[in-house]
Amino acid sequence: MALTRRQFLKWAGVTGIGAVVFNGCRVPDHEIQVQSPVEMPEDLVTGRDNYYATTAQIGAASEGLLVRVMEGRAKKIEGNPDHPVNTGKHGIRAEALLQALYHPDRIKHPLLRIAKGGPYRRIDWAEGIQRLTAIISDRPSSEVLLATPLLRGRVADVVQAFADGSGIRLQGFDALGCESVTREALRQLYGQNAQPDFDIAHASYILNFGADFLGTWINPTHFSRGYGEFRQGDGRSRGRLVHIGARYSTTAAAADHWVYATPGSEGLLAMSIAYTMIDEGTADSDAASALTGGAGARALQAFAPERVAAQVGVDAHVITELAHELADKKHRPALVMGGGPAAAQVNGLFNMMAVYALNALVGSVNRPGGLVFNPEPISGRVSSSSLREWKQTLADMRSGDITAVLVREADLAYGLPGALDARAALRSVDTIVSFSSFLDETSELADLILPCHTPLEEWGTDEPNPGPGYTTIGFQQPAVNRFHNTPGYGTLSFGDVLLQTGSQLGLPDMPWENMREAVRALAQDLHAQGRGSVVQPTFAEFWKRTLERGGWWDTGATADGSRPDLPALPTSAPADSSADPNRYPLHLVPFEGIGVGAGQYSHLPWAQSAPDPITSAAWDTWVELNPHTADEMGLKNNDVVIVESATGRTIRASVYINPATPPAVAAVPMGQGHRAFTSYAARRGANVLDILEPAEDAETGAFAWGATRVRISGTTRTKVVPKLEGIEPARQLHGEELIFVHKA
Amino acid sequence: MATRTQSTRADHKWGMVIDLDRCTGCQACVIACQSENNIPLNDQSAFLDGRAIEWIRVERYWEGDYPDIKARFLPVLCQHCDNAPCESVCPVYATYHNNEGLNVQVYNRCVGTRFCGNNCPYHARLFNYWEPVWPEDLRNQLNPDVTVRTRGIMEKCTFCIQRIRRSTRGGKQVEDQAFNPACVQACPTDAMTFGDLNNPDSRVSQKWEDERAFRVLEALGTNPSVKYLKQVDAHA
Repeated sequence: MALTRRQFLKWAGVTGIGAVVFNGCRVPDHEIQVQSPVEMPEDLVTGRDNYYATTAQIGAASEGLLVRVMEGRAKKIEGNPDHPVNTGKHGIRAEALLQALYHPDRIKHPLLRIAKGGPYRRIDWAEGIQRLTAIISDRPSSEVLLATPLLRGRVADVVQAFADGSGIRLQGFDALGCESVTREALRQLYGQNAQPDFDIAHASYILNFGADFLGTWINPTHFSRGYGEFRQGDGRSRGRLVHIGARYSTTAAAADHWVYATPGSEGLLAMSIAYTMIDEGTADSDAASALTGGAGARALQAFAPERVAAQVGVDAHVITELAHELADKKHRPALVMGGGPAAAQVNGLFNMMAVYALNALVGSVNRPGGLVFNPEPISGRVSSSSLREWKQTLADMRSGDITAVLVREADLAYGLPGALDARAALRSVDTIVSFSSFLDETSELADLILPCHTPLEEWGTDEPNPGPGYTTIGFQQPAVNRFHNTPGYGTLSFGDVLLQTGSQLGLPDMPWENMREAVRALAQDLHAQGRGSVVQPTFAEFWKRTLERGGWWDTGATADGSRPDLPALPTSAPADSSADPNRYPLHLVPFEGIGVGAGQYSHLPWAQSAPDPITSAAWDTWVELNPHTADEMGLKNNDVVIVESATGRTIRASVYINPATPPAVAAVPMGQGHRAFTSYAARRGANVLDILEPAEDAETGAFAWGATRVRISGTTRTKVVPKLEGIEPARQLHGEELIFVHKA
Repeated sequence: MATRTQSTRADHKWGMVIDLDRCTGCQACVIACQSENNIPLNDQSAFLDGRAIEWIRVERYWEGDYPDIKARFLPVLCQHCDNAPCESVCPVYATYHNNEGLNVQVYNRCVGTRFCGNNCPYHARLFNYWEPVWPEDLRNQLNPDVTVRTRGIMEKCTFCIQRIRRSTRGGKQVEDQAFNPACVQACPTDAMTFGDLNNPDSRVSQKWEDERAFRVLEALGTNPSVKYLKQVDAHA
């Protein structure tokens, strides 16, 4: 087509005008800049948040917390930097308290079952408390049992006053006995009723027998605070950690040296180290003399390394090296710890006495970097009853000596060894009342359910055990209003329920109207002392400041340091009465889940989904086997096996071949196998507690949950273990390593 | 409406140092991150299907054989690389590098090609295969500062950008350690240190120069904003 001059001018004009016009209309540069929606405009008004300081008893642990609240809803839990025990940090279970509060399967109002096994109907609190009062008053008080978990602080005072006033039996329940053996050893050795603290931060050397103190033992967040400093704290040299244990745990992985010792022989090993130190003259002479009754090494010669090596499963020269390391003056202060499976043996007290006596031999008793004594608590404590006591209690249920059981988050039907058949015993009592917010196995049997608050909704206090070496009282306040709040229904504080019931029963020594008043009464006592972390002229100001800080602590209120003379250690080891090793060739090493514990936290999704640090598995039960052991049995990963103990009881679980599992061990996580306890816990995995032998420590009667042997047989089934491992390719690359280590 | 100014934001270069000698693999960082950032619940099927979403995960590496065996932990999160391989392959500019050193993901631009995830050598980017679902009551815990991501898009660690924005809004100067991402805040052993690498006095700047410091896959030249401090091992 030919272009005429006229056409050219016309098009050029249009194009030029268009260029000007469209240039003027184009979107400004800053508006097409890529911007993340999370990069909020500067003037965007978000909701206003408030932070409330509170505290929570989480099993044996205690953590001071800050709760972020927006528009009446708790959004995030963080550690309280002021709290002396966790100093701003927190663990998985504390984080998951949010999910307890907003759990979709919470019981939303009191429930009453008219006939055994029948459906529940909703009742109001007035009727619930009236019925509870009648249950207690209609029968002899000796026929009523109140079972709670470990309790500390103000709620323990209320529970104790309720039990004392009404005359009912009170028992604490913890599936693992919560280190009652360890505490008894410390009481016998050093006269301490309060658990001493472990000054990990200032120790140069730690010798640890069995306790997974960085994973699940007592208060891992507190111990981890010290561990960080132990490794790389400013102004100190790096500490050395040696771990003795039957499973390669989180603590074993952190250790510089891990030594496998035959389960139950930890005390022999500790005695052998003690013998070597005393024999070579490297132990504290006064302590050595006292612990041997003045006889010196001669008294302990039955524990010479070469005599016990075979039984312990550790070469004599390794035992001697351990003794030399512990005695080395370069390793001062040295700290010796122990617990967990090492204490949960039929000779548990012997083991723990031997372990903790080593602290005296290295001069680490009530010293920085060693065991640090704690003062006696101000409030009461409900401690764990021994397995021996629980066996008697179950017998009393069967015989009709106990006709009513009141239970608060003490899941006897799940947590006691299956051979005791606690479920059948509970079925034989007339009435069960549960104060749980969740329908666990024991609550499932209840005739009356009075659902109580979760920790973020109620008043209380907690004195950590162990504390940091001085009196520490965390104050618990409701960070949010109760979530299920229908007037007359909803949930109530456990303490308030007991106070209201006590009032109806006319019980003495329960002067408080509610838990808030009980906490305020304690605060008034503290205010009157005029010392500690909060000192204010008026009580109103003291109350406000104490709640703001999350508690009250007094660094000057330490233990007086007095202790009795050391007792003499036994000169021979108690007999080990485990099952026939020929029929049951493997040691069963049950271990707490990093999130779900021994099953108390299995209803919380975050606790369930936290991968086990060693295997990365979650949500299920697995059996850890050494590669050679599995090979000899013709087993491979994900094969379903039957694990059978001498009780004749079995569980089924998938094999996880763990290269760090000792050949004679089958390690199985606790926490699964619930029949009930919300949709997140029920019908998932297997309950390893079910197959444990109901063995006891000979002296204390505590549950020897680490003393079971098992045999394993294969099936034709496979079931994949849910785990993070394998989702991403986490392996070292040839030629380009991912992780490097620094040679010391 | 106030406008964003380049000068105030460019004052910062956020970075992190993770001391492997302090890390115990306890998973506190993992769960704290999930709580802060509205990460969907990782149920059993998420693990079985290989679809678990963890913005920070703790990898475990074995060395040696029983009994001389050692597990080593490596917390892995988005490394916020200065030369990020994920950024150049996004066809819709859903991921870019901002002027504070952050590798940022624009959720409403993402069309889910997963090229970025494929190109990330750290496997730090995660795809939402399903619509995230929380039971009604559990939705109360969701953090209102953080977008809930929908099905079909990528997500990853943001260094808790919502906390950075809250603390630095309006060009406000913040002191070192005045705030931390959720993982750092939770870490019980203080293994993780976060801060401004442009501030030579910040704790993270000082650890950045530690003799034990290294970057993961340094040879790739991605220049991450995360460094690790080697675990000390007398037997290495």
